Amino acid sequence: MRGSLGVADLADRGLAGVDLAAAVAGLAQLLHQAGVPVSPDRAGRLAVAIDVAAPATNDDLYWLGRVTLSSSPTEIEIYDRVFHQVFRGIWDPADFRGDANTPSSKSTQRGNSQPGLNGDDRASRPSSTPSPTLPSGTANAPAAQDEAGESVLAAMSSDERLRTQQFATMTPEELAQLQRLMSRLTLAPPPRRSRRSVRHHGGSTIDLRASMQRSLRTSGDPVELVRRRRRTRQRRLVLLCDISGSMEPYARAYLQLLHSAVGGANAEAFVFATRLTRVTRMMRNTNPNHALYHAGRAAPDWSGGTRIGPAIKAFNDNFGRRGMARNAILVVVSDGWERDDPALLGREMERLSRLAYRVIWVNPRKAADGFQPTVGGMAAALPHVDAFVSGHSLAAIDELLAAIAVT
Amino acid sequence: MSYLAAVLPTIQTLRDRLDAVDYLADEGMASALFCAVRLPQPLLLEGEAGVGKTEAAKAIAAVLGTPLIRLQCYEGIDASEALYEWNYQRQLLSIRLAEASGKAVHESELFGPDYLIARPLLQAIQHPGPTSAVLLIDEIDRADDEFEAFLFELLAESSLTIPELGTQHAIHPPIVILTSNRTRDLHDALKRRCLYHWIGYPDLHRAIAIIRRRVPASTISLAAQVAAAVDRLRTLDIQKAPGIAEAINWTLALDLLGISSLDESSALTTLGSVLKYREDIDVAKERGLAWIAGGS
Repeated sequence: MRGSLGVADLADRGLAGVDLAAAVAGLAQLLHQAGVPVSPDRAGRLAVAIDVAAPATNDDLYWLGRVTLSSSPTEIEIYDRVFHQVFRGIWDPADFRGDANTPSSKSTQRGNSQPGLNGDDRASRPSSTPSPTLPSGTANAPAAQDEAGESVLAAMSSDERLRTQQFATMTPEELAQLQRLMSRLTLAPPPRRSRRSVRHHGGSTIDLRASMQRSLRTSGDPVELVRRRRRTRQRRLVLLCDISGSMEPYARAYLQLLHSAVGGANAEAFVFATRLTRVTRMMRNTNPNHALYHAGRAAPDWSGGTRIGPAIKAFNDNFGRRGMARNAILVVVSDGWERDDPALLGREMERLSRLAYRVIWVNPRKAADGFQPTVGGMAAALPHVDAFVSGHSLAAIDELLAAIAVT
Repeated sequence: MSYLAAVLPTIQTLRDRLDAVDYLADEGMASALFCAVRLPQPLLLEGEAGVGKTEAAKAIAAVLGTPLIRLQCYEGIDASEALYEWNYQRQLLSIRLAEASGKAVHESELFGPDYLIARPLLQAIQHPGPTSAVLLIDEIDRADDEFEAFLFELLAESSLTIPELGTQHAIHPPIVILTSNRTRDLHDALKRRCLYHWIGYPDLHRAIAIIRRRVPASTISLAAQVAAAVDRLRTLDIQKAPGIAEAINWTLALDLLGISSLDESSALTTLGSVLKYREDIDVAKERGLAWIAGGS
């Protein structure tokens, strides 16, 4: 932050009585704590902007700050609240100590908007293990390991047993073990032809630049033509994972899969229960525990009720239609327990199947005895699904990998 | 730079001058463009389709009276289409010509400015002035992410490096405006170098003003009806909510048909100019054409 802000000048111009330099510094700091990465050069940019534009009112200052400090709609949401606190109300830094719950705009605004939903929904669902399988992550896992050191050792020598054991019945230690196995999985979406070209002796177009350069060797005669052909690229892989109460036993394992997919196959990852949250960015963290922890913080609706239809719709509207789903391999991980109207889910799945190259539905409950895909949501979605796999254990994940790799 | 400071001393001046070229900017848009010109810093514009991202770049070019250099991005765009390309045919001809006339042709001559084809980014750097050109890099999210790296030098230093010629510095650093439809996340390195503005839908009053400005033949009552109807359509559960561009098109269509007031039958015949999905049209019809036209 620049020291020569000319605070007195600015006060004269209308924002009377406000120590702008201090307020801007405070704003930058609070934003940083609230999760907007305000780098020194961004803060410096705001200082220059204030110098140049000489804001006269709070509104002027609001826009200058928003343009210089934010860089996405989510950040704008946070910026709005922080700005409001600093410049339009009395602000208390104690409210903003970077606590896990405080800064997330979603948890305060939307999470509470359906107060009755989470509780009664979970009660009406089959939730076999209410164990802490959620990515409370870093804090939880090591402690649990200490307690049960022996069983960790046992699991170490039994990758095979782990492969066929249902995710739902795994202990936290086994899940940690699973992490290692999952990270070895290779997700290989089939290739598609790209618009980008690459040098190739059998290519169909002539690379003029290279041919020209080559011709200098033969005193300007283009004897040898260099050719190019279209390159192939991996298809985009998009994973949508249900994290509602009924999926709780599987959530941890599938988040692990999301993590390996984002790291290994450059996939896009989303989680949903009552709303859709994009977690690709968090999943890029190379440390799986951190990735899962941050993803957990980003999604306010852990173990809430399921609203698959609206979630798929949100994906279609905000991401899929704009290009993310086009020609992509789309994987939906959910048990199909739809809380809302199944007709909506059917409609949205149809839209999705028109956009995507292939739609794969993973239902961990498919392996259960007597499973019939007649639950409202599942039945509505099935006609628009290219592959329906179970994926209740690591061995069954192979089925999913095969489905992804189909060309 | 002092020239720009003289032309655009305050945000309000910029707003007035944008107004004069028929671009009605709200406070946020004006602040964003002002910072882009005066800091100067590249500006990344995002927003729903049809809210006037590209128009903003055109408007600022018109205000400054400078050319707008546009680079439309697409998958597979590479350096030879965005930065520069050598004119190989001409190089070959020169070699032949030199051969025929028995002269020697030097390599530094062949890879000199005469044989360089400037693509948009280089054009923007080479713009001779007197004012900076406006460089519009449209729909950057359509280009693949490797392409973003080509832009860093331009965005940060206003220069481009051509291996054969060395680094080209801009005499008048271009005013750079990037637009994105958010089909993918742009790289942090790119975002870090840019100012950011999210363009929302205009409110009713502004929408009416914009429609009237863009369709001068329309009456104020028709513009108000269309703006209100588009507002109502946005509240429906539809796939592609209409933007201000669709509102303008709708008014143009109504105007062309000689309709001076929006009612059920005229809404039915022209609904295709504002809703672009069959499902959306069905949803709208279900809600009732009378409701769209009149709000009841």
